[in-house]
Amino acid sequence: MRAISLFPAVVLCAALSAGAMLLGARDVQAQQAGGSAAPDPHAAPAGGLSQSDIARMLPATDMGAGAARAGNTHQASMSDSPATPFDAASIPANPLAPNADAIGAKSCVACHAQENVQASHTLHVASFRAGAANTGPQAACESCHGPGSGHAKDPTAPGLIIAFTHDAKTSPQVQAGVCLSCHAGGARQHWIGSIHQNRGLSCTDCHNPMARLSPEGVLAKSSINEVCATCHQDIRAKFNRRSHMPLPEGQMACTDCHNPHGSITRPLLKTDTVNETCYTCHAEKRGPFLFEHAPVRQNCLNCHDVHGSNQQTLLVAPIPMLCQQCHTMTRHPNDLQSAANLGTGPFPDERLMGRGCLSCHANIHGSNNPSGPKFHK
Amino acid sequence: MLAQKGNRTTPKALALGLLAGLFGMQCAMAGDTSGTMRVGDMQYGNGLDLRGWTPMLHPADPDGMSWLHPGMLRTPTGVLYPYPPRVDAGKPLGSGDWTYSGLLEFGYLHVGGERNAEYFRQYDDWKSGAVLGLFALDFHNHRTGQYVELRGSRLSGDDQFYRLLAGRYGSYRVEGFYRDMPHTVSTNAYPIWNGVGSTDLTLPAPLVAGASTPAQVAAASAAAPRRSIGLTRTRAGLGYEGVLYRDWIGSASITNEKRSGTRLWGGSMFFNFPFPDNGGVLETVRPIDFRTTDVNLSLRNVGKVWHFLATYNGSFFRNHKDHLNFESPFALYNVAGTPQVADIKDGQFSLEPDNDYHNVRLDLSRELKWNGQFSVSGAWGTMRQNDALLAPTTCTGVGGIFIAPPVDYTFQCANWNTTDALSRKNANARIDTGLIDARVTFHPTPAFGWHAGLRWYREDDKTRYLAYNPLTGQYGYISENGSQGSVVPGETGIFDPNNPLYRSYMVTVRNNPFGYTDTLFELGGDWQFGRKSSLGVTYTFDHNWPKYRERRRVDDQRIKFDWVSRGVFGGATVRLSWEYAKRDGDRYNYDPYVQFFSESLPGFVEPVNGIAAHTVADMRKYDLSDRTESKARAIITYPWGESATLSATFYGNRDQYDALIGRQNTRTTGATLQWDWQPTPATTVNAYLGAESSRLGIANVNDADGPDNGKALGTPGQTDPNLGGPLYPFANQWWELDRESNRNGGFSLSHDFGRVRADLRYDYNGSFGHVGYSYATIGALANRVPAAVAAAATGFPDNKYRTNTLDLGLNFAVNRSVGVRVFGRYQTGAFSDWHYAGFDNTLSYDHRLYTDKGGQLHYSVSLVGVMLNLKL
Repeated sequence: MRAISLFPAVVLCAALSAGAMLLGARDVQAQQAGGSAAPDPHAAPAGGLSQSDIARMLPATDMGAGAARAGNTHQASMSDSPATPFDAASIPANPLAPNADAIGAKSCVACHAQENVQASHTLHVASFRAGAANTGPQAACESCHGPGSGHAKDPTAPGLIIAFTHDAKTSPQVQAGVCLSCHAGGARQHWIGSIHQNRGLSCTDCHNPMARLSPEGVLAKSSINEVCATCHQDIRAKFNRRSHMPLPEGQMACTDCHNPHGSITRPLLKTDTVNETCYTCHAEKRGPFLFEHAPVRQNCLNCHDVHGSNQQTLLVAPIPMLCQQCHTMTRHPNDLQSAANLGTGPFPDERLMGRGCLSCHANIHGSNNPSGPKFHK
Repeated sequence: MLAQKGNRTTPKALALGLLAGLFGMQCAMAGDTSGTMRVGDMQYGNGLDLRGWTPMLHPADPDGMSWLHPGMLRTPTGVLYPYPPRVDAGKPLGSGDWTYSGLLEFGYLHVGGERNAEYFRQYDDWKSGAVLGLFALDFHNHRTGQYVELRGSRLSGDDQFYRLLAGRYGSYRVEGFYRDMPHTVSTNAYPIWNGVGSTDLTLPAPLVAGASTPAQVAAASAAAPRRSIGLTRTRAGLGYEGVLYRDWIGSASITNEKRSGTRLWGGSMFFNFPFPDNGGVLETVRPIDFRTTDVNLSLRNVGKVWHFLATYNGSFFRNHKDHLNFESPFALYNVAGTPQVADIKDGQFSLEPDNDYHNVRLDLSRELKWNGQFSVSGAWGTMRQNDALLAPTTCTGVGGIFIAPPVDYTFQCANWNTTDALSRKNANARIDTGLIDARVTFHPTPAFGWHAGLRWYREDDKTRYLAYNPLTGQYGYISENGSQGSVVPGETGIFDPNNPLYRSYMVTVRNNPFGYTDTLFELGGDWQFGRKSSLGVTYTFDHNWPKYRERRRVDDQRIKFDWVSRGVFGGATVRLSWEYAKRDGDRYNYDPYVQFFSESLPGFVEPVNGIAAHTVADMRKYDLSDRTESKARAIITYPWGESATLSATFYGNRDQYDALIGRQNTRTTGATLQWDWQPTPATTVNAYLGAESSRLGIANVNDADGPDNGKALGTPGQTDPNLGGPLYPFANQWWELDRESNRNGGFSLSHDFGRVRADLRYDYNGSFGHVGYSYATIGALANRVPAAVAAAATGFPDNKYRTNTLDLGLNFAVNRSVGVRVFGRYQTGAFSDWHYAGFDNTLSYDHRLYTDKGGQLHYSVSLVGVMLNLKL
């Protein structure tokens, strides 16, 4: 197999960059709409009711339906009082209801009263509420669910409102697009192309901004670990093994190491490599040491199963078997240790008992001692 | 204002200048924190309350989430959302817009039974006494979006957390926290030394360093008091994140961690197994006295088209105890049978050096046409340390062995117990890393998308060290503080081109600056079939150049298929994946380390029988060997009726390594099944089962080092590295198979009767492990006398780790503001691990002394608590 050297790698990288720039030079925003036609606020509804009919039938709104927002669905701030950036939050287009129009939160709450009670006490919706306190009419519900006139007219017809739940007509991509319209970048900069995006997850598989089910993060369950275990049940089970990190004890979360929103590593790590993630809490292992141990420096996972193990210290195999996978050198490393060499056997052997190899090679993660090439010192 | 969605980069924004124009305008969400970018401190809880706010989840809102439909809605995948807790609107604070709400839960906890069971308190500092279950106090201003939230909980001084969050939605956030996290390593330790936890372990009377008999040591061990070994992490941090200017959001945090305590450690005074009543193998206790300060800075701009993120992570580790000295009780004798001139009785370890770490990273993404995105990331990092090096030995007087003139293998400790014996005084160690990651993704139609990525990463160890003693002109080091060379003639660790006695010794003379460069290319596509199904295919080519390893090039090609389907079986979501990978590379060089050994130096004289083969040529290290790998996984989520969810996972991995010697295969197969039922807001039920089996097979070969298994070592045949040769005969081959079986299951029930809520939970975890071995002939065994062969035939006993945990809780609502919680836990556990076989009887075996007896073989423990719950 032919090697890829650094130079071609850089060239390819640069080509990708240049191509991407050129492709993106033209009308990006139009394409972002996914090819859907821009809503025509003046278009007549397909059903028998007109916008004015809807406006008349619905409760008085704080926004006004139809023409009031026809030119600009984004109300500007109406005062210079303190307010949040949620003021005048945008209203996403609903590809399945391109002609719908915003109707305002009062109309929504007329039916969704209980949702309003719960949602108003989440950080997410409270943010909109705070914005509305100073800046007048707000879209609120429709900032996430899209313009609601179509849904208000035919509430049981699926797809007329952007929905985020099971059997919703709204695709996961559109759902995620709604959330990312405000939450793009930062920790979610690499959501596009991440394993969770590719597996068709929607933001609301893990989050529920409509109720306060978690202290932070508007999660879909009461803790981060419970959310992750919804799908990763086997990983949760591993954390109950003999040696594990303190997730079952409530001291850690999966997101201490992983960024479920995507990262530049395949396992969604927060740092550039496995080892850099480990070093964050185990900084003493970072070194560098005068004498390094190759598999240790290369990848902690060569010897440790970080999600749980039935061996000591998260090891992937019992000592000395773990070491004897590589250490076949002459003299003491390659002897077959047997039941004869246990503490209860006729020939107890330090290579098998207790910490086994580590009884002597204690500095196995690296030694900073001039006499430590074998990690004895 | 900030939000201008629906418009592209506005003329107004363009007028702001090139910078603003570059990044466009989009609502900046400073309240949307960078939490998931920072490693650590994402979860605050403890054994009493894993979530850290469970008391605030109750009671559930009897009205559920909607008037418009019964029960709860489901996630897009099909999992039911839990019923939300009843809303606490809070109480007004003064006459302004602020409200507050809070909760105080405190009470008494009693621990009974084997309260020091190792696996019961591994990360919980359970103690009988008063506890603070939860203190929560929230202040909100619903007009301005400002908030202050306090949380705290305390099981003990080593198991507690306090956290303050304050800010304004979408504008800024300030965070401060303090927490203590315990980690118990052993509760069954019997160290004999004085000074446990310090850098100097000294022997108690009547033991004398280097002059005590095994019987005396055994008596001291038997009389040693039981101790716990473990440490506490104490972390405190401050962080800020907020809008700096327009769409520019910055964050800064600093975290300080102190780790203090002890851990089990080693102590090597040379082998005991080949030399009865000689050598010394000690399980000691080392101090943990670490301080780590982390600094995290970020700056980001999220525009409509461009996303920019710059981060700096700095970490500064300080070890306040950089060494461990220990006294060894055992006397050493040289195997030459001459009078012992050396007096080696102490050992020493260098502990981890201080280190500094810096990492700067830039991420830039641009939205593209065809629903595309281009991202490029670049990072540079460096980790450095320059600690003062310790001397090669701490011995005094003479080390080594004197046989008869001119055969004098002694060395003067004074020439080695000083840092003047080093080629340099400080480590001057440094590893630099570089990263470039570029990805492009397009989704030109809803039915088709593709992506490509290229990642380049390099780790460059710049450390160069030559083990040269300017005082003697010799190379190498003093092995095991002088003990090895004082037992076996010449095995001091020294190479001396000018001394015939030392000019043929193979010793390490240079450090090996391992490193690698990795380039990964990925190309994939995904197709949508109808509204509910999709297929993804991804090809990955991972090309790795290890430095100073057995291979210079390792290529890993992988193809992965993903299938996601919704609406299967009337609504289930099924996620399937299968991947196949094949790894190969260039020629495998079984011994690439010549340049780091004395054989590479001028003056090295090859021994009469040649240099013994470094290792068997047919061995393949598993991180470099040819390998085929396949993985499959299925995750199924089935909405069962209106109020239940059934979910299952099936998974398996198969790895086959092309190695005659080394790791040969691994295999994992498992399944989980879970049922969740929430018929009403008052009732939730959960049951789960899981099973996993795994195996790992290796092969090895014993070298012919004795008259009863070939005796090639020390003969001209020792230069032959091949399997089947005189040094590694087929007759000495052996195989080992580690098999594990894991089972877990449990159920939970919670029901709210109105004034009383009952919680019941049971969990079972059982793991069984068996290491089996086979061998071509008894030549493979470490001991080949009849008694050893007979004992070997019995095989290792099974290992097991099993826990049963039953939790019961009753919550009484006295009135709307006062409640009482009574709860109990009963846990039993069983543990066995042949590493500790016999340790319950003695920790002393000839010249071996152990400290840890391992986890308790059986234990049962109970927790009973009563808590008063006050709503503030």
